[in-house]
Amino acid sequence: MLQISIVGLVVVATVVLVGLFWKNSRARPANKANQNKQNTTQAAEQDVEHIFNDEFREELRNRGRLHFEKIIGENAMFLQQDLRLTTSQLNDYMKQEITRTLQEEFTKYEESITDAKQLAVDSIEKTKVAIDEQRQILGAQLEKQVGEEKDRLIGRFEKNMADIINHYVLAAIGNQIDLSDQLEYILGELNENKQAIIEDITNGA
Amino acid sequence: MEHDTEGGMKLPLGVIGRVDTGHLQRELAALDEFMNQAALKDDVPALPRTSKLLEELATDNHVDLSRAKERQQLMKDFKSLLSNAPLLHISFASDPSPAFLRKLLSWIRSEVHPRVLLQIGLQPSIAAGCVVQTRNKYFDLSLRRHFLEQSGELVKRLEVGA
Repeated sequence: MLQISIVGLVVVATVVLVGLFWKNSRARPANKANQNKQNTTQAAEQDVEHIFNDEFREELRNRGRLHFEKIIGENAMFLQQDLRLTTSQLNDYMKQEITRTLQEEFTKYEESITDAKQLAVDSIEKTKVAIDEQRQILGAQLEKQVGEEKDRLIGRFEKNMADIINHYVLAAIGNQIDLSDQLEYILGELNENKQAIIEDITNGA
Repeated sequence: MEHDTEGGMKLPLGVIGRVDTGHLQRELAALDEFMNQAALKDDVPALPRTSKLLEELATDNHVDLSRAKERQQLMKDFKSLLSNAPLLHISFASDPSPAFLRKLLSWIRSEVHPRVLLQIGLQPSIAAGCVVQTRNKYFDLSLRRHFLEQSGELVKRLEVGA
């Protein structure tokens, strides 16, 4: 930008000098060419001295500063606009990128969750099937053992039925059975075995 | 002196086992000794008071205990009885009463043997009935044996009931 401004100043100064020179050349007649030529040369030199004196330089400097400031201001405005636009675009871009990235991550995360969920469901199903099988096996074993135990208890009960009932009768009414009430039963039993008793008494050594 | 049909002495129902026969034997000996001592003194003493069992024995066998000859015959027969009388061992679930024993002994002496002596035992586990042991045999006449014989029927009834 600074180079462009300097070039612009040089071009302006050149144009001004050419314009003054062209004006002086038209104002004097051709017959006074020599004198005019000298005057012109002198005037040109004076003008040049006049143009490039300190005031003119100061003016040029001021103009250049103003122009430079103007250009700087415009460029700053453009730069600000560009910066805002760029910032806005960058924001949009960042939003889009972040949104896209988040969307992708969420998608991956969702897929991972879905996979994990499916894995867990499969595992639970397998476990459930295994538990069902185990339960059936245990149920069958338990049923078998209960059946065996039941048969064993029934067999034992049947085998010891007489003792059990005898024990129960003894515990229930053992002290209440009077021998006098049993006399008829005892005599009947003795009568059934009378012959064997007599034979043993008679013939026994 | 009278004897029963088998030629032995008649035992009263009060004489149940060897304990009673032992008491009678000792009482008879003591009585005989007392009477003999009295005879040596040329004294005619009154018959001393005897036990009810001895009186019953003398009455059943028609023996006059004041006569030495009959008394000695009774002692002799009684001694013979102790060596020859069959012994039945009967066990009950509880102690039998004297009346029960008299009825039982009466039946046994009338149906099995007139001079049977009993030895009473106690087996609470038989619940009811009795267990009889002779010299060589064992007769389980208890309710337990009855239950054992009927265990099949009991099982059948239980199965029907279930």
